[in-house]
Amino acid sequence: MSNQKKRNFQIEAFKHRVVVDPKYADKTWQILERAIHQIYNQDASGLSFEELYRNAYNMVLHKFGEKLYTGFIATMTAHLKEKSKLIEAAQGGSFLEELNKKWNEHNKALEMIRDILMYMDRTYIESTKKPHVHPMGLSLWRDNVVHFPKIHARLLNTLLDLVQKERTGEVIDRGLMRNVIKMFMDLGESVYQDDFEKPFLEASSEFYKVESQEFIESCDCGDYLKKAEKRLTEEIDRVAHYLDAKSEDKITSVVEKEMIANHMQRLVHMENSGLVNMLLNDKYDDLGRMYSLFRRVTNGLVTVRDVMTLHLREMGKQLVTDPEKSKDPVEFVQRLLDERDKYDKIISTAFGNDKTFQNALNSSFEYFINLNARSPEFISLFVDDKLRKGLKGIAEVDVEVVLDKVMMLFRYLQEKDVFEKYYKQHLAKRLLSGKTVSDDAERSLIVKLKTECGYQFTSKLEGMFTDMKTSEDTMRGFYGSHPELSEGPTLIVQVLTTGSWPTQPAVPCNLPAEVSVLCEKFRSFYLGTHTGRRLSWQTNMGTADIKAVFGKGQKHELNVSTFQMCVLMLFNNADRLSYKEIEQATEIPASDLKRCLQSLACVKGKNVIKKEPMSKDIGEEDSFFVNDKFTSKFYKVKIGTVVAQKETEPEKQETRQRVEEDRKPQIEAAIVRIMKSRKILDHNNIIAEVTKQLQPRFLANPTEIKKRIESLIERDFLERDNTDRKLYRYLA
Amino acid sequence: MRRSASKKPNQPNSVTSSATDLSRSASSKGSTKEMDRIDQLFNQYANTSSRVIDPEGIEKLCSNLEVSHTDIRILMLAWKMKAEKQGYFTLDEWRRALKSLRADTMRKLRKALPELEKEVRVPSNFADFYAYAFRYCLTEEKQKSIDVETICQLLDIVLGSTFRAQVDYFVDYLKVWIHLFISEDLIFQSFYQFVIISSHYEQIQNDYKVINMDQWMGFYRFCNEISFPDMTNYNPELAWPLILDNFFEWMREKQA
Repeated sequence: MSNQKKRNFQIEAFKHRVVVDPKYADKTWQILERAIHQIYNQDASGLSFEELYRNAYNMVLHKFGEKLYTGFIATMTAHLKEKSKLIEAAQGGSFLEELNKKWNEHNKALEMIRDILMYMDRTYIESTKKPHVHPMGLSLWRDNVVHFPKIHARLLNTLLDLVQKERTGEVIDRGLMRNVIKMFMDLGESVYQDDFEKPFLEASSEFYKVESQEFIESCDCGDYLKKAEKRLTEEIDRVAHYLDAKSEDKITSVVEKEMIANHMQRLVHMENSGLVNMLLNDKYDDLGRMYSLFRRVTNGLVTVRDVMTLHLREMGKQLVTDPEKSKDPVEFVQRLLDERDKYDKIISTAFGNDKTFQNALNSSFEYFINLNARSPEFISLFVDDKLRKGLKGIAEVDVEVVLDKVMMLFRYLQEKDVFEKYYKQHLAKRLLSGKTVSDDAERSLIVKLKTECGYQFTSKLEGMFTDMKTSEDTMRGFYGSHPELSEGPTLIVQVLTTGSWPTQPAVPCNLPAEVSVLCEKFRSFYLGTHTGRRLSWQTNMGTADIKAVFGKGQKHELNVSTFQMCVLMLFNNADRLSYKEIEQATEIPASDLKRCLQSLACVKGKNVIKKEPMSKDIGEEDSFFVNDKFTSKFYKVKIGTVVAQKETEPEKQETRQRVEEDRKPQIEAAIVRIMKSRKILDHNNIIAEVTKQLQPRFLANPTEIKKRIESLIERDFLERDNTDRKLYRYLA
Repeated sequence: MRRSASKKPNQPNSVTSSATDLSRSASSKGSTKEMDRIDQLFNQYANTSSRVIDPEGIEKLCSNLEVSHTDIRILMLAWKMKAEKQGYFTLDEWRRALKSLRADTMRKLRKALPELEKEVRVPSNFADFYAYAFRYCLTEEKQKSIDVETICQLLDIVLGSTFRAQVDYFVDYLKVWIHLFISEDLIFQSFYQFVIISSHYEQIQNDYKVINMDQWMGFYRFCNEISFPDMTNYNPELAWPLILDNFFEWMREKQA
């Protein structure tokens, strides 16, 4: 029992009886060193882990950690140097295998050694902040094997060669590749990148540069793209099989750059196989491939889109400015619709409904449709054709489809007010001649126009329909209150509200007695129920059905215009009439009369009247008589024409003038509206705002806007600001 | 004629300023005589029945003043008078100018003309004078524009000495402009008729052969602000009257 101080009760550490043998450390190290050798020589079975661990532990405990650490490094280094000589000695294909084998052995050995030296790892190394055993082991491998000059380059070249072989179609040992490359990864990301990835990418870049050049000289665009796609897939596959996942983006970038980005322009513009050719021939597969490949590179899609846009605009421009194509308006519009359908399909099938391509399509159409000033007229004529006969027998659903497509073209028009004018004219003719195939279709289109353009656009059109309906009721009322008239000729009157219908001057004309009596009866009937109104007969718009019996007893029913009726009825009281007599009796203006007589006397198959002399044109000295020998296959013969036709040049000019005149008050109204709310505004802003306000109807010309402003200044609606001449001021 | 002596200075209900009252009363005797002479001078030229100076009288006046009746100084005199009707001067107008010019004899009036010209050419006055010149030529009640022939003459008188080049070119342009309309009349025939029917009469006034106040003033601004004949600082996309945009284009075509 030792003396104990009464105050502190201390327990002292139990001290081992240490034998401090000066050779202790050496002896212990030798044991360990020998063990390491045996481990490396695959001869570890006889070793006792526990004993070795304890030895290592003791060394560290007795402050010989450093000796242990440096010893371990030295031993391992020596071994690795040996190994690398062996590896280097390997020939040909076995080089890689040797390396791989030795690597595996080293890892196993390292693990064991680490376990043995665990205590040192956790204490000595920890406190001195030196590299731990395992990382140290890897670094030694790296420095002594991988970076061994005679191995370093050869290793890399071997790997790259194998990749090259695989790229040219040979089969290689992917497992081996994976292991070796994993070795790089295990040695650290920078080792992988510096010793393998970077050179790999460079070599790949070179490879693809050469290959893409070969391909582009020898292949057409479609084939080239197929090859590029194949290479891309291969590389991705390669990464999955034996490279680091992080390399995928890098290698695909290389392929994209070399095969696609560097040849973008050449591919797209390739003659006979490039983008334009693909578009023209609906090569959906090739287009889809191009889209998905080009999408990967910067400005790839921009390039495709721009070339497509240019092509569309060129094609469209040629289409609309070609005088041949403008001969038949219906075909003209059908062709536009067909083109639009075609490109719609391309974009949805091959370009994944990409919105930017949709926009390019729309802007291109908008561009070229407006290059032809007659587009609004033609679209209206197309609709007219459909509503007259084109939609006959077609299911309602399909009708909607056609009308929606027409609306799409309508939206592209800049001069929507021109369309409105023509549409009104054509609708009037359809309604009055009763030639519309489907009332529902007519109304459906009006609703679509209203949704697109607002109430004002369609209010007059709707007024036309209302007039037709009201007229039916009026006729019923007329015949209801005049039952005695059911014996004579049947009168059908359409009462049109001026303002809703296209304006026409009333043309004078003497109606046959039977007809004028009826008309007068109707007039008094109508005015009896509608006070304060005025009726004027539009004799240039009417039609008549007349039963005729010809010289040999042929009976026919003739469908003629009102003017033609007036002329024909004269022949009930005379066998022969001169031009002057007809003119006097009917009082029809000369130009209309000549046209009328021409259609009765000079058209083959419809010549109910004969003319002397038999010239083509109507002369004022001509005389006329009934064609007793008239024949026709049909009982009902149609002579009058009230079909809407493409306008003649002077008619077109007139319509254009009217449209321009109509625009002036609209521009002024817009200016006044804007100035009223803003009070003061500068010139450029007025132009911009007015243009914007009028854009749904037409594209306002800045010069015209300026003219209107000056007119408003003169009429004291606006004034210029005294100090700042760019400003306009609203005068209340 | 009022006698200023009958007016007492510092009358509480007096409307005129006391300063003028004082000056009037101070020089009342002198001013009365002056006014008389002014009136007498008036009577030398006035038409006895209408009691105003009519065109004939003005011609006589011009010859006595030794200026041509198309001389700008007569216009300046009219401006000084604030004369309302072209070709006529009323007594009030006459008095207004001559009193201000302190001219009660023909000699004094002749001598006052250079002073008058100097006064008018002061920039702030000239703008007013320029606008007055336009209004002076309007003869009808609701008239807002003047025919191109008159405008050409007026421009020559009013701006000829200061902006010779601009006036010459612009006058050329205006003459070409009318000519264009005359020769294209046949094409415009139907349009013209249609436009008449649509009763846009004032539009025709604008488009054919006349200039309005806005265009008139615009040209003055043009002369003052735009370097000529290069016109490098002219921008047709700004708020210049359209006729000047067209003039600018016409000039450019000529220069090309």
